[in-house]
Amino acid sequence: MSSRRGFVKSGALAVFGISMGGVPAFVLKAVSQFNSNKLYRKNKILICIFQRGAMDGLMAVTPFTDPFLKAARPTLFMSAAKSDANKLIDLDGRFGLHPSMKAFEQLYKNKQLAIVHGIGSPNNSRSHFDAQDFMESGTPFNKGTESGWLNRAVGLMGHDATPFRAVSMTASQPRSFYGLHPTVSIANLEDFAINNRKSTADINLTAKSFEDLYDQTTSGLLQHTGKETFDAVKMLSNVDVKNYQPANGAQYPKSSLGNSLKQIAQLIKADVGLEIGFAESTGWDTHFNQGTSNGIFARNVADLSNSIAAFWTDMGANYQDDVVIMTMTEFGRTVKQNGSGGTDHGRASCNFILGNYLKGGIVHGDVKPLAIENLEDGRDVAVTTDFRAVFSEVADKHLLLNNDHLLFPDWKGTHLDLFNT
Amino acid sequence: MVKNNFLFIVLAGLLVKAFLFFSFKPQEEKKLSVFHFPYQSQGLTERQAAAHLLSRFTYGATPGQIDEVVKTGLENWFEKQLQGGLPDDSLDKRLANYEFLNLSNTESVNTFPKPLKILKMASDDGVIPKDSVQLIDKDQVRLRLSQYVKSKNIHTQPQLIRSFVSQRILRATYSNNQLQEVLTGFWFNHFNVALTKPQVIHFAPAYERDVIRPNVLGKFSQLLIATAKSPAMLTYLDNFISSGENDSLANPQGRRRLQSDDEESDSSKISFVNKNKNTKRNKGLNENYAREVMELHTLGVDGGYTQADVTNAARLLTGWSIYPMGEEYGGQLKKLIDAVGEGKLIERGYLRDGDFFFIKSRHDAKEKNVLGKSYPENGGYQEGVDLLNALAHHVATANFISKKMATYFVADHPSPLLINKMSKTFLEKDGDIKQVMMTMVNAPEFWNKDAVRQKTKSPFELLVSAARSLNAEVYAPFQVFKTLDKMGQKIYYYQAPTGFPDRADYWINTGALLNRMNFGIDIASQKLRGVKVDLLKLNNYQEPENAEAALKTYAKLLLPERDMEPTIKRLMPLLTDPSLQQQLLKQSNQKERYGKIDDLFDLDNMDQEDKWTEKESSMLAQVVGIIIGSPEFQRR
Repeated sequence: MSSRRGFVKSGALAVFGISMGGVPAFVLKAVSQFNSNKLYRKNKILICIFQRGAMDGLMAVTPFTDPFLKAARPTLFMSAAKSDANKLIDLDGRFGLHPSMKAFEQLYKNKQLAIVHGIGSPNNSRSHFDAQDFMESGTPFNKGTESGWLNRAVGLMGHDATPFRAVSMTASQPRSFYGLHPTVSIANLEDFAINNRKSTADINLTAKSFEDLYDQTTSGLLQHTGKETFDAVKMLSNVDVKNYQPANGAQYPKSSLGNSLKQIAQLIKADVGLEIGFAESTGWDTHFNQGTSNGIFARNVADLSNSIAAFWTDMGANYQDDVVIMTMTEFGRTVKQNGSGGTDHGRASCNFILGNYLKGGIVHGDVKPLAIENLEDGRDVAVTTDFRAVFSEVADKHLLLNNDHLLFPDWKGTHLDLFNT
Repeated sequence: MVKNNFLFIVLAGLLVKAFLFFSFKPQEEKKLSVFHFPYQSQGLTERQAAAHLLSRFTYGATPGQIDEVVKTGLENWFEKQLQGGLPDDSLDKRLANYEFLNLSNTESVNTFPKPLKILKMASDDGVIPKDSVQLIDKDQVRLRLSQYVKSKNIHTQPQLIRSFVSQRILRATYSNNQLQEVLTGFWFNHFNVALTKPQVIHFAPAYERDVIRPNVLGKFSQLLIATAKSPAMLTYLDNFISSGENDSLANPQGRRRLQSDDEESDSSKISFVNKNKNTKRNKGLNENYAREVMELHTLGVDGGYTQADVTNAARLLTGWSIYPMGEEYGGQLKKLIDAVGEGKLIERGYLRDGDFFFIKSRHDAKEKNVLGKSYPENGGYQEGVDLLNALAHHVATANFISKKMATYFVADHPSPLLINKMSKTFLEKDGDIKQVMMTMVNAPEFWNKDAVRQKTKSPFELLVSAARSLNAEVYAPFQVFKTLDKMGQKIYYYQAPTGFPDRADYWINTGALLNRMNFGIDIASQKLRGVKVDLLKLNNYQEPENAEAALKTYAKLLLPERDMEPTIKRLMPLLTDPSLQQQLLKQSNQKERYGKIDDLFDLDNMDQEDKWTEKESSMLAQVVGIIIGSPEFQRR
């Protein structure tokens, strides 16, 4: 609706036209001044990270005073006792953060990081496929739902938007993005260009040819999307993807997740209108040799926390107020360790939410003592918080989308009260 | 037995063909057809109609194919496609390179160990430390595992996936039985299963080959029942673990073992004995398949069924499961079978049909009611078949399937008149898909100008049609899998049971469109890995004199019977812009041609022709790339 934004989409940047490969310096300057008006700053940004494979919530955030847990995990249990070589980071006398998540310690102390424990799906499927499907569609008892909850969120934004409003840093569209509303899924921003890698002239000519052809086509959809595509390419041509310098000395891990978050940070700072970002973290299905303060799990949580912390540092004071990061995982793992030094598919896990207006520094939710009678099916951490309660609250309080009827059609419940008002 | 049957069918088929051949030979081929396509009344010329026909029932016309179809006669061509069985020597030769295409489900399960099993074997063999606390890192594990797999000559699931994906791309590109291929794609997507669920991987190749492919032009009820009984569908939508309340395998450990055999990858014995009866109940009935079979496979979401119908349909289908497969699958079930005695299965009410196994002890034997029809108690296996037959012949199903077919083969929003005609045939002809297809093609609505070029190609259709129209050599088909993914269609990996949506606005979005354009440029300029093209050969090695000629010639070759005037008009000024040309020449001069040899030869005299060729062929590649990335080529 904003006329300024309309100008960006159809006017000022059209100057680029043919010169996508070599943008004249004066235009760049003009655009960067233009961008400094912070066109899209009034919009909030939500970054979702899906931890595929099911994170062991009991090892990430351990109820270390629980004797049942200690008994169930003879070689995996860690405590917060000073004498313990694998010492946890004590959060509140009951829960301890895995030692490889040092990067989260300060954020938790600053009350920016909130944790929800005992979170999961009301559908007790322990299949990765089903549980991810249910979590991403947002309808835990209905596989037939065509759209993903984040796509429905895009549809509810209710304001003018750019091609970059929802971006997933994955090659394929994640289930969360399935649906009617336009989104972008791309593993690497460098791919976002007409890339005949031969010569500048070639690129210019080809790009200009395509732009003209799509502009002229009689198919409304192809014409409209063509225009949106070239607008997007032009918007991004202003972003030097290769030589990005994170702010405030932020150091992203050289991992897939680190890269994804770095590129999302670039998009945010380039002011291309990003409102929903999506990234994935893999390797959480730790049936074998999970390890304790070292090993597979330790490396995974180190990557997760270091990537998120780097992103947060990179955002700095300018952007942190507008951004919330939320992690999710399809389910948790068995209380008891298995015969091969790992854990099997369970029920509840925990998740992390980072933002300036959260009730941080608290482990929210409800984890009962892990005695058999308190476990689901006699083996797993019981789900005490429906994931939709948390997703819905974040959508409502942060993105200001107050429409659970559309976002989570079958859900009736209450929020946990995670945000300061 | 199976082989003999097969031989018999082949022989019978040959006899029928020979008979047809001899009895009809004296007549004009063109007069053979029983119908006449009403395209003239819709204002299409014969050639335009042939182009439309090819756009709907092939993965794209190959060079010269319109001439062939006109020569054969449109109706004859279509009938031959309906009959199928055209010789496919060139395809067969290509497929011969793949060794896993004919494995049964049992062979597949026992040939490709699951990743976890490989991990365990490696750990047992000491390749990966077992109980050490100090663990080696991920890359190390990966490296050691890949060496281990090679040294032990273990086949892995990625190999199976590679051959499965490759055969599909090759068949779509090179088969002469194009309608068969298009329909295989259509029905697979309708009865979607996805490799995103790891348990499906072993079963997917046989599913496409033995369940979908032979039934694409048969009775809909046969196709439906075949999918319902297939290990792929039983696994994908969980029916294989669904059991009634009278489950006589009721001891929790036994039951959990049955489930965890396949559904969960628990590596340890589950030592927590389930004491909670309520949660145990949840593990009994599973409604997933029952819901989707009504919502997605037959009646459609507005088909008039209730939640009670879903629950009761699920109860009807309890016990529909999978027979044990050698060492690797169904060990616990095997114990049950041994306890009953294999010879006594039938008299005890169990039933085995290939990989399908009806486990009577898991079946809910009580009376049920679905969609107003009552199923008396103790209906056993047969009541499930009755239910599926009732669904297959339901009027809502006739409408739903007809609409879906018309949407795919005619237009995104097909005319209700056409859907009614097809639906009527569906009901009158016992759900005969071939008859429904014939009704569709004989309807004027099929040839309406509103239908011509109105479908947007899916990425798979785009890729294959580009390869076909360029006569490309797809020498490493798996290489293009990534390109498909980038353009938004990772085939066999659509996670939801809906299958890929069949709507232009699903395929066309910002990132995907850009990747389509880049795909055009890449395939034309030999940068698409796994695919080779010879642009000059397409035009009988006659080189276009300039960009203008290239554009005109190749637009006609790649998009026959289309009005390319607007495209040509639009592009011409750009392609002939002298300043751009100069820039281009300068660039290619600097970069590609002149280097050290400059000093040795007098380039002005020598190489004149060579220089020209290089410049022009890069120009040609660019022109062709732009045509393939153009909006016109995205439509069919």
